[in-house]
Amino acid sequence: MIAGRFTLLVLALVASVALSLCLGSFATSPGAVWHALLAPADSDIAFIVWELRLPRIALAVTVGAALAVAGALLQALVRNPLASPDVIGVTSGAAFAAVAFLALAGSTLSVAWLPLAALSGALASALVVFALAWRNGLSPIRLVLVGIGFAAAASAGTTLLIVLSDDTAAMTAYVWLTGSLYAAQWPAVGQMTLWLAAVLPVSLGLARHMDALALGDGVATGLGVAVLRSRLVLLGCSVALAGAAVAFAGGLSFVGLIAPHLAARLVGRSAARLVPASALVGAMIVLHADLLGRVAFLPKDLPAGIFVAGIGAPFFVYLLFRTRPTR
Amino acid sequence: MLLGVELPGVDRCMMSGRRTRLTGERASWFAALLLSLLVGPALANNPSPRIVTLYQGATDSAVALGVTPVGVVDAWLEPPMYPYLREALAGVEHVGLETQPNLEKIAWLAPDAIIASRFRHERIEPLLDVIAPSSVVETVYDFKTTLRRVASATHREARAERLLDQWQARVDDFRRQVALGLGDAWPHRVAVVRFKSDHARIYTGGFAGSILDELGFEQPEALRTHGWGMKLTSKESIPVLNADVLFVLLEPDDAIMNNYRAWTSHPLWQRLDAAQGGRVFEVDPIAWMMGGGILAANAMLDDVYRHYALTDHGPALSDTAPSSACSSGAESDAPIGEGRKAC
Repeated sequence: MIAGRFTLLVLALVASVALSLCLGSFATSPGAVWHALLAPADSDIAFIVWELRLPRIALAVTVGAALAVAGALLQALVRNPLASPDVIGVTSGAAFAAVAFLALAGSTLSVAWLPLAALSGALASALVVFALAWRNGLSPIRLVLVGIGFAAAASAGTTLLIVLSDDTAAMTAYVWLTGSLYAAQWPAVGQMTLWLAAVLPVSLGLARHMDALALGDGVATGLGVAVLRSRLVLLGCSVALAGAAVAFAGGLSFVGLIAPHLAARLVGRSAARLVPASALVGAMIVLHADLLGRVAFLPKDLPAGIFVAGIGAPFFVYLLFRTRPTR
Repeated sequence: MLLGVELPGVDRCMMSGRRTRLTGERASWFAALLLSLLVGPALANNPSPRIVTLYQGATDSAVALGVTPVGVVDAWLEPPMYPYLREALAGVEHVGLETQPNLEKIAWLAPDAIIASRFRHERIEPLLDVIAPSSVVETVYDFKTTLRRVASATHREARAERLLDQWQARVDDFRRQVALGLGDAWPHRVAVVRFKSDHARIYTGGFAGSILDELGFEQPEALRTHGWGMKLTSKESIPVLNADVLFVLLEPDDAIMNNYRAWTSHPLWQRLDAAQGGRVFEVDPIAWMMGGGILAANAMLDDVYRHYALTDHGPALSDTAPSSACSSGAESDAPIGEGRKAC
């Protein structure tokens, strides 16, 4: 039954990818797209399929998966269903660094450095939050509280930078903050895939520890789990995934929060199933959000972030509504 | 016209194979090919290049050069297109927002050249280059560079130089007249203020700023060190605006007009030199900020002439300019316009 649901998820993702490949400013027939994929040399639409649609789809899938897994890890780590990379300051730190880059160095340095700036911001803010939250160990509640405080401070800094920068830089910053897969290119896809390929197996390897941690520190220790070490590795994985995703796609919010919940409804809370299912669900959310952005308001090409929040916010309310009676 | 437009695309698509084109359009290429054989080489000598302009100033410049782009980005105000360009661009395809133009749409248009700006489009330059040779201008508001780039992409360099000469002549004429008419009071300190519904912005640089510099205006002391300008959210900041002349950019929007009225009725506003000297002028943000091309620049200069009550003696703008862009001001009442005789 679980295997069936996984098959279903994979099939749904494949179907979504196929649909995304066929839709665009002008819809192209699946046959023509297939032909372009197999024999780009003699296809009219090879450039559109290979250089415009495919890298964007690949980045949407990898970024969505990374954000969702980052969220799933964090939720297990802090034992709180409302946790997400936004909460522990990773996203806000990356946003602050990216906007600072655009506002202060945007006219002198190439935008090719923007992902690196955002990634350093994400990692640096995770370290700061971590250092501030450390007190003879790592208490999840303390981590979240410090994270929320840090995130608020970073957001304030971001707002200040936007107010101080000129209209053009401010507009670029807004687009970045919304989160967009626009103009995704193969080098970015390659780097994002590498991050995912490096971190995902580590997280999966820790699935048993995640399940143990979910039962509480005492029980986990009793089950032979090195609580602190597992927690640190999980935190590291989560930060690395979220940081990389934010670096390449900007501030896509809500994916890390809702994808694990959707996945849990489908395959249950056991981490070995939850992590891969979250990845699939997250990939699908971002892919569909981007598809909407690309084709719903033609000829405008809108940032995917608008639609992620559009799908995410109502679902979030629904989630709160559903969990209320059981408490 | 149709032939000139279609034929270059045919050549390229056939040679490269990877070029993007709707399969269904093949029929029209064929028709064009047939027609070209019938009509002969006369049209081939005068190709009208298919260009896509990815920022407002480039679109304005193309129209000024008599070129109709095959694709343009949405206007910032009064979408889809500024009224002064509407007639010239009727029926032209839009490729989305200037900040995030639709690459696929651009590819489908199969242009011969793309005019972009580095600031906005640096990330997509590699993709644009595959679609068509792209000409990338550093900033979006440098209308002279923009005009030259659009001209070289469309082989209209001579026309561009003519437009720039006319511009220079108008600038010289303004500087002569205003210096003569105002004497020691010139140069005036100027501030450009744009009102929004909940704040005001002072612009010192950019399009309007660089043109006012060229015309010989000075910046008030308080604004010189502030980069692009300043965002004012409190009426307490009004004294920062102190200058001999204020150009106020207003949009026809109730909230903006209300905010503007609230600011101008404030006692601090009444004490500004410009307010006391009767030199607060309301102008159109499309000409002063959004257009960003030589047509907008000339429309802006029209405004300055009109508000300084000078007679516009500069040569008329090229015949291709849509008349609405240059609805030049009162050429009648010119108390200090007599300067012309001295020239």
